[in-house]
Amino acid sequence: MASFIDFRNPPGSDRRADLHVRATSEPAWLRRSFVTVVLVFFLLFLILPLVVVFQGALDKGIGTVAKTFADHDVLHAVGMTLLVGVIAVPANAVFGIAAAWAITRFRFPGKAALQALIDLPLWVSPVIGGLIYVLLYGRRGYFGPWLQAHDIRIIFALPGMVLATTFVTFPFVARSLIPLMQAQGFEEEEAALTLGAGGFQILRRITLPKIRWGFFYGVILCNARAMGEFGAVSVVSAKISGRTNTMPLEIERLYNDYLFAAAFGVAAALSLLALVTLALKTLAEWQNRRQFEAGQRAQLALTIEAPSPDQT
Amino acid sequence: MSIEILSVSKNFGAFPAVNEVSLRIETGEMIAFLGPSGSGKTTLLRLIAGLEFADKGEIHFHGENVTMKSANARKAGFVFQSYALFNHMTVFENIAFGLRVAPRSQRLAERAIRERVDSLLETIQLPGLGSRFPVQLSGGQRQRVAFARALAVEPSVLLLDEPFGALDAKVRRELRTWLAEFHRKTHLTSLFVTHDQEEAFDVADRVVLIDRGKIQQVGTPEEIRSGAGNTFVRDFLAIDI
Repeated sequence: MASFIDFRNPPGSDRRADLHVRATSEPAWLRRSFVTVVLVFFLLFLILPLVVVFQGALDKGIGTVAKTFADHDVLHAVGMTLLVGVIAVPANAVFGIAAAWAITRFRFPGKAALQALIDLPLWVSPVIGGLIYVLLYGRRGYFGPWLQAHDIRIIFALPGMVLATTFVTFPFVARSLIPLMQAQGFEEEEAALTLGAGGFQILRRITLPKIRWGFFYGVILCNARAMGEFGAVSVVSAKISGRTNTMPLEIERLYNDYLFAAAFGVAAALSLLALVTLALKTLAEWQNRRQFEAGQRAQLALTIEAPSPDQT
Repeated sequence: MSIEILSVSKNFGAFPAVNEVSLRIETGEMIAFLGPSGSGKTTLLRLIAGLEFADKGEIHFHGENVTMKSANARKAGFVFQSYALFNHMTVFENIAFGLRVAPRSQRLAERAIRERVDSLLETIQLPGLGSRFPVQLSGGQRQRVAFARALAVEPSVLLLDEPFGALDAKVRRELRTWLAEFHRKTHLTSLFVTHDQEEAFDVADRVVLIDRGKIQQVGTPEEIRSGAGNTFVRDFLAIDI
């Protein structure tokens, strides 16, 4: 077996073409073993768990699944998950657009810090995300006495769960928009400006349409994460089934109560959400590409079919 | 509209892009900013449009100080080198954009907007292409749409940044002739940036030679070609004459 890179004949020597061929065509055994490793890994860590979840859910028949979702506490958990998502996701969508806009358009003090801090929730443990809100708004927390005096409950109630979820899902929209907006530049916005458009008109008519698929992509990722969040929410929720449990917390409760079929039933529902998210994400990417290709096709048709005097 | 530039400077970090430039442009003139790349000619154009703000000096439009006014208040028609068309809008909507974002009190009725856009499509010789999207147009057609879009709001000055830079030689010449013709008919005060001497001397009433952020010479094409300028001017002109 020849070595992959021939150091005795650097690029530029007369054996360069030979070297190029060898560099791009690895031996068959290597190719095959890489593919095998990837597939086995994929099967063990992604496909198998998903199959087991659905199998566990349907183990005792579809009737059990129906009964699980007829249960008041489970239904309430589904409702809580949706409610938290409905508040946290739009909040982060607005924040994400504002942050991406500010970072890509302006120079301001603290910009580098903001850019680094946006990623923070991805690096710290979600438990810490929950804990900081306990330290701030809990009974013994920073704002605790004031909140208690005014009879406002944040921790162990819906507001705390929304805060924790918002913290954890903070980066998704901003992160999917910043590279996109940087790549697009802002000449179109400048053009709109010279045509007399104001800031909000530019945002609504130029920037948002330009980033819509990237935005959609960020929002569905954010939503998937919001609905699946366990760690942060488990700290700030009192985990009272039927009152402050979301779906992931309810799964834990059911499992700990040895209600395996029910636990897997709810887990399957969450997994379905993941699959729907995956489908939507694929749709977003496909839609993006289709738009691009339609433009290219039309351009091609134009140059072939309609050679007019001003055709250039 | 006359434009007065009074000792304007603009630095990017430590780099002086435009350095103490003064210039007076009369109503109806066609001016070319000519210079090598990095000379500051585009920055000067952007300062006039309000897309950059001067660190020092003043800019007056028709006697009014607009130095601190934003680009959307100055409303100078600007044609970008890359055209900067709105790719998600049709050609028609691109041209209509400036009319649609006008304040409600000044906004034209839908019918008047249609008429204005249709007549502009005639002007740029692209009638019937209003429903196309920018990606469906050739480079020369896009350039003319960008031109029509800038003209739609009836600006009193037209600023063009390397307007023919991205086109091939034949289309360049055609559009150049067309622009000269358009200017002869309308006498709209126009400034364009170019690094192509032939283009500058061919189209402009007066040529402003710029290098290293400073004006090196201002004059009619004949005056400049007579070789009365400084060393830079003679060197620069000698390169490809």
